[in-house]
Amino acid sequence: MGSQTRRRLTGAPTSLTFRTFVALAAGKAAARATQLAGRGGGTAITGMVARRVDPQILRKLVLDRGEPVVAITGSNGKTTTARFTAALLRGEGIEVSHNSAGANLVQGVTSLAVSYSSLRGRLPSGVLVVEVDEGALPKVAPELAPRALLVTDLFRDQLDRFGEIYAVKDAIESVAAALPPDAALVVNGDDPMVAILAGEREGTRVTFGLELDRSTDEITRAADTIRCPRCQADLTYRHVYLSHMGDYRCAACGFKRPELDVAVTSLEVVGLDRTRCEIRTPAGRIAVDIPQSGVHIAYDAAGAIAILVGLGVPLDHAVESLADVGPAFGRLEKIDADDRSIVLAFAKNPTSYNTTLRALATEGEPRQLLIAASNTLVDGEDFGWLWDVDFESMAPKVERAVVSGLRADELANRLKYAGLSPRKMTVIEDRRDALDEALNGLPSGRRLVVLSGYTPLIELRNEMRRRGWTGRYWTV
Amino acid sequence: MTAPTALEATGPQTPAPHARRVRAQRRDHRPLRIAHLYPSLLNVAGDGGNLIAISRRAEWRGIRVEVAAVEKGETPDFRKFDVVLFHGGQDVEMAVAADDFAKKTPSLREAVDEGVLVFAVCAGLQLLGHRYISNAGEEMIGAGILDLETRGGPQRFMQHAACRVTIDGVTDTVVGFENHSGLTTLGPGCEAFGLVVAGAGNNGRDGLEGARSGNVFATYLHGPVLPKNPWLTDRLIEIAVSRAEGAPFTLAPLDDQLELRAHEVGLAKAMANRGRRTALEPAKLVRGLKRK
Repeated sequence: MGSQTRRRLTGAPTSLTFRTFVALAAGKAAARATQLAGRGGGTAITGMVARRVDPQILRKLVLDRGEPVVAITGSNGKTTTARFTAALLRGEGIEVSHNSAGANLVQGVTSLAVSYSSLRGRLPSGVLVVEVDEGALPKVAPELAPRALLVTDLFRDQLDRFGEIYAVKDAIESVAAALPPDAALVVNGDDPMVAILAGEREGTRVTFGLELDRSTDEITRAADTIRCPRCQADLTYRHVYLSHMGDYRCAACGFKRPELDVAVTSLEVVGLDRTRCEIRTPAGRIAVDIPQSGVHIAYDAAGAIAILVGLGVPLDHAVESLADVGPAFGRLEKIDADDRSIVLAFAKNPTSYNTTLRALATEGEPRQLLIAASNTLVDGEDFGWLWDVDFESMAPKVERAVVSGLRADELANRLKYAGLSPRKMTVIEDRRDALDEALNGLPSGRRLVVLSGYTPLIELRNEMRRRGWTGRYWTV
Repeated sequence: MTAPTALEATGPQTPAPHARRVRAQRRDHRPLRIAHLYPSLLNVAGDGGNLIAISRRAEWRGIRVEVAAVEKGETPDFRKFDVVLFHGGQDVEMAVAADDFAKKTPSLREAVDEGVLVFAVCAGLQLLGHRYISNAGEEMIGAGILDLETRGGPQRFMQHAACRVTIDGVTDTVVGFENHSGLTTLGPGCEAFGLVVAGAGNNGRDGLEGARSGNVFATYLHGPVLPKNPWLTDRLIEIAVSRAEGAPFTLAPLDDQLELRAHEVGLAKAMANRGRRTALEPAKLVRGLKRK
């Protein structure tokens, strides 16, 4: 299908309307202006401005021109899966445009198309890899007509935005069921609520997951789908791999994990640095060594490989491609701050928090901690889920914590009840001041762990960049 | 038959993280026995934080806590407990719990008659009432322990909220986050848990929040509500301990700076939101661009 993909690209050059041209120009100018003002990468503003001028801009740039799109959605792992997918496609000689900054709402996806597009409305030839927020999917999908749609997992992420996880599932179901038969639906077979998606649909379907002979996790209180999505009876697990993901079966109705087309058959997580796994694909087995750490990394890699399988793209260079993909923004990303080191760990819901805490615990971390949460449009308004995070396991290790962000109040109170003494905590809402405080108290040669939601992490990372500790992150 | 309930470890006894010594609390208390209903079914929005708040605040005063998770299929004698926690859940899980809850109801009713403290949130409130009638017209039968009933509503209330709560003649403000679409109406057999200051309360119309009858307290407030309302948490512990020991009991104060800060922020958010009846309609999953 690779050649077919490229063929479609050369066809149907529609002429650009004046309005679309203005929208492109305005969007690009807005991005430039925000970057010059030093206020971030302009990842959302580009799309926002362009859509104001021409609400149909995304449809015109992508759908009307038949640009091939790979869309990745779900609660966790979108950004990393998109990065793996982009690397794998590039490794096979396919050009890729990709929203690697994780701006995945309508505006962010539009930004991607606008910034990669020329002023004449031409995208570079190749594939557009987009991560799409699970809530934005029903709006974005019709404007993209993806050739492959991957669903990573479904956790209760930002309940205050969506109401209930079932509403999110229904929204994804409507998009998945409507995919044309020649498009590939790629689903995580280990997540019961994802595995059951669009079961009636006829067309290409690729499943991925883990096939290990041991559990790598146990059901915790953050797990929220351990009932059968078909009949609501309790599921029984032969193995649990990550939260509610695993090899499950329903004794009542017979629903069980599907046969996996792409399966991780062995897995070794090496500290905070690497994940080694063997992956079975329809084209044979490959052994990959990825410079990122965690069970979730194995899921993301298997998902990305499953996308290539779904698109019919070969996997000739997969091993080399994956060996080069370092952590995405804030995913256990290491930064050298003069003589001290900082680990940035992004966490946005109980599952990503618990996954991250477990990875940090393998190295006895966190000991010196800067932790932040802010209520924003992207981070949500209700932080009750902080009480579902297993901070109790972290608290005894922590020597000192600076608590920051607009919801430092909730976070500090949560940590107190998890057993972290208020005497070890300093609450400083302002992110820059919090970073100063955290580093001032950090002994030379020691490591500071930064655990944070999306917005405060961007703010903190930008501050580190201003101090010359890290390169420019924004790529879109 | 009474199945044995799984005893959950409550973790190591955490000492009071305060410089101030807690005095006069050292007399021997029986452990506070807490039943946590359906922890794996009804566990959204961090409501488990209510259990954490009650447990820690009791332990910090030297009162030991024993927690039993009471899951589907288990029918313990609820009179053996001092506190029953009954939290919120999503519609699907609530329906599963409702089927099972009917089997627990007779024992729970006996416990309530003996004054066992019940604290219920959202779905817990709805299932303690007579019935819940969904938008599709399906009826879930509740325990009838609280004289109230709930109907599915056209919109979802999702916002910071605050109410005034009076316990034993003392009134204070309680803050939290509401997230429900059911519309609850109280009958004459129970009073409100609180009077709405900000937010929608039971139905967005009558200014009432939650329900109370004797030692049964029910609210729509998530947040979770108890960690950021230490006044309420301590009153609940006092009611439960006083009943268990048959003598009035008062808790020594703690250093609640962090709790009260979280309370203040919650209150400020609720007040900023006052007058807005709802945050989001359920069908509006997608945040579009035009937000005017």
